[in-house]
Amino acid sequence: MNVYLLYIALTFYLASTSFYLSILITNTSKVEKPALYFLLLGFSVHLISLIVRYLEAGYTPITNIHESLSFLAFSIAGFFLCLKRAYKVRAMGSVILPLVSILLLWALAFPAEIKPLPPVLKSWWLPIHAIFAFFGNAMFFIAFFISLLYLIIEKEIKKKRKLTLSERFPSLETLDRINYKCISYGFLFLTVGIITGSIWAGFVWRSYWNWNSKETWSFITWIVYVILIHNRLAIGWRGRKTAYMMILGFLFILFTFLGVNFLTNGLHSYV
Amino acid sequence: MFNAPRTDTMRLTVLGLNHNTAPIEIREKMFIQESDIPELFKKIKESGIDESVIISTCNRTEICFRSVLHHEESLKKIKEIFLQVFQAQPEWFQNFMYVFHNEDAYRHLFLVASGLDSLVIGEPEILGQIKDAYRIAAFNNATGFLLNKIFHKTFNVAKRIRTETKIGYNPLSISSMAIELAKKIFGELSEKKILVIGAGEMCRTALKYFQKEGLQDVLIINRTYQKACQLAEDITGTAYPFQDLSELLVKVDMVLTSTGSEKPLIDKTFIYAIMKKRKNRPLFFIDIAVPRDIVPEVNDIENVYLYDIDDLKELARQHFSDRMKESEKAHTIIEKEVDKFTKTLKQLNMAPLITHMISSAEETRSKELKKMLQKLKNVDDDTVNSIDALTKTITHKLLHSHITLIKENGDGAIGEVLKKFFQLEEEDEEEMDTRDKG
Repeated sequence: MNVYLLYIALTFYLASTSFYLSILITNTSKVEKPALYFLLLGFSVHLISLIVRYLEAGYTPITNIHESLSFLAFSIAGFFLCLKRAYKVRAMGSVILPLVSILLLWALAFPAEIKPLPPVLKSWWLPIHAIFAFFGNAMFFIAFFISLLYLIIEKEIKKKRKLTLSERFPSLETLDRINYKCISYGFLFLTVGIITGSIWAGFVWRSYWNWNSKETWSFITWIVYVILIHNRLAIGWRGRKTAYMMILGFLFILFTFLGVNFLTNGLHSYV
Repeated sequence: MFNAPRTDTMRLTVLGLNHNTAPIEIREKMFIQESDIPELFKKIKESGIDESVIISTCNRTEICFRSVLHHEESLKKIKEIFLQVFQAQPEWFQNFMYVFHNEDAYRHLFLVASGLDSLVIGEPEILGQIKDAYRIAAFNNATGFLLNKIFHKTFNVAKRIRTETKIGYNPLSISSMAIELAKKIFGELSEKKILVIGAGEMCRTALKYFQKEGLQDVLIINRTYQKACQLAEDITGTAYPFQDLSELLVKVDMVLTSTGSEKPLIDKTFIYAIMKKRKNRPLFFIDIAVPRDIVPEVNDIENVYLYDIDDLKELARQHFSDRMKESEKAHTIIEKEVDKFTKTLKQLNMAPLITHMISSAEETRSKELKKMLQKLKNVDDDTVNSIDALTKTITHKLLHSHITLIKENGDGAIGEVLKKFFQLEEEDEEEMDTRDKG
């Protein structure tokens, strides 16, 4: 049942994507409303699907690759809706919505059947740790794409080319501001995710920190973002430098999230 | 019975000149001050022209008019007024002026209002000027049914072209391009600060554009402090002494330079140091001075954006070629609108005839029905109602095909025949006409 709902959500996301892409291509805001409505529909159905899966499985559905990709897509869609309320994001949906759709499509490519939960995960820490960790990931996913956009648009202005892309997206300053917001929240979520994970590990593995690959890479990623935030606050790194740093940070996020699971084994091999 | 000049009631004529057809000396002579317009309307009315609108800008002077007189005759009258009021020479009409009738006149008005006939193609001011011209004419009771209709349609078409094409999308003037760029960097400009180096005319013009965007903080410095103060007073800014330059550069977001300095005032190492103090907050330089006030390498510094006059001119060139492409789309829209509007007017021309047909048919029907009912005795209400409904249906059905024919074929030969057939008298038409005007 929950998987059927996911397909419906995907359909809505795809519809929204096509509207956002048409905003990007034609550079008119005529279809902004349908794009938003389809996104809202997709998001609502996605939420229902998560609730249904929670009820069917009896645990928070962020325990395998299918569930976590789906939850990541859900978080990105949700945060994008928040951004949309706070800023004039214009054609930014044409970047975020394809991402949401692809992640959900990818989630559906993995086995989706509900399996009994491994005993080690049966804990109230599961929802707390996993939700924070994935909220953090979602923020960094968004920040990554905003950084790419920033670099492209900055180049357009700097090289004095005709302004084609920049007129479809927010100003450089707004992009930089959104980027910083995403990093701040992302960092906060990531930190809480790591701390809660560590406490949980203390309970089940009897040691707060085991230097397993997930922990190690999370820690490295965390350090990258610490440096980034420090540089921004202390020596005024902004604009292009922040954007490059964000892209680097994102590569670490990607590796921590997926690379570790696909390439290594060991503790924390669920997601 | 129907008489010939009546077909001219819906005839619009435009007589005028513009920057393409007449040199500046002639345009100057033909320029009409707003204060002179009421007097002119009076003269035009007295000469037997029913409706008119006068458009006069620095690039064009045009009069649009309608008269019940034959168009040749009315044109002659208008020309006479021109000769008299502007001391125009008769050969000017031949050499510098154009005349458009009906479809061509609608097309011309649509083109002008959309900015397609302007010196700077796609410029938006002309629409405002035409709206003003129409407002003045309406205020002086110079417009009537036809011109009201045409001008409203014109505004409509101009708006459609603004929204459906990108004709006015990319700015062409140096100032508006600078603003466009500033918006790409900073977004909203009202909270931003601009520093102006130099107090010349160029700065003054550009600043006006920036202030139109809601920019409030204007800081001005100049080698001669008095000049800075003068400009600051004129445009509500604040003047600072020249030695404050580096301090001010830390504070502001945008810098507009236009000094007469022979050598650049600002070099890379200077801005490098400034950016450190600014903690890399973006800084946008617009250098419109020749020779340049800022060395071009300043653009290489991170978060610094420098556009000089050549960069802006190059952008303008690209924007212009975009506008040319968009103008093709605009022309297509205008052709369609001209067709549609011509058809609508033709139908309107036939409206008195249609009303006449319906009312005379109705008159005959009710008369005959009355006679019939007097002859018949002992009929109940139901039968009366049925006969009434039946006769109505018959007349409607008989008229229907005629009316469709008129609506589809406008005021061609069929219209003429039908006018005769239904014995449409001139008085009827006049009555309809005055009702329209009301």
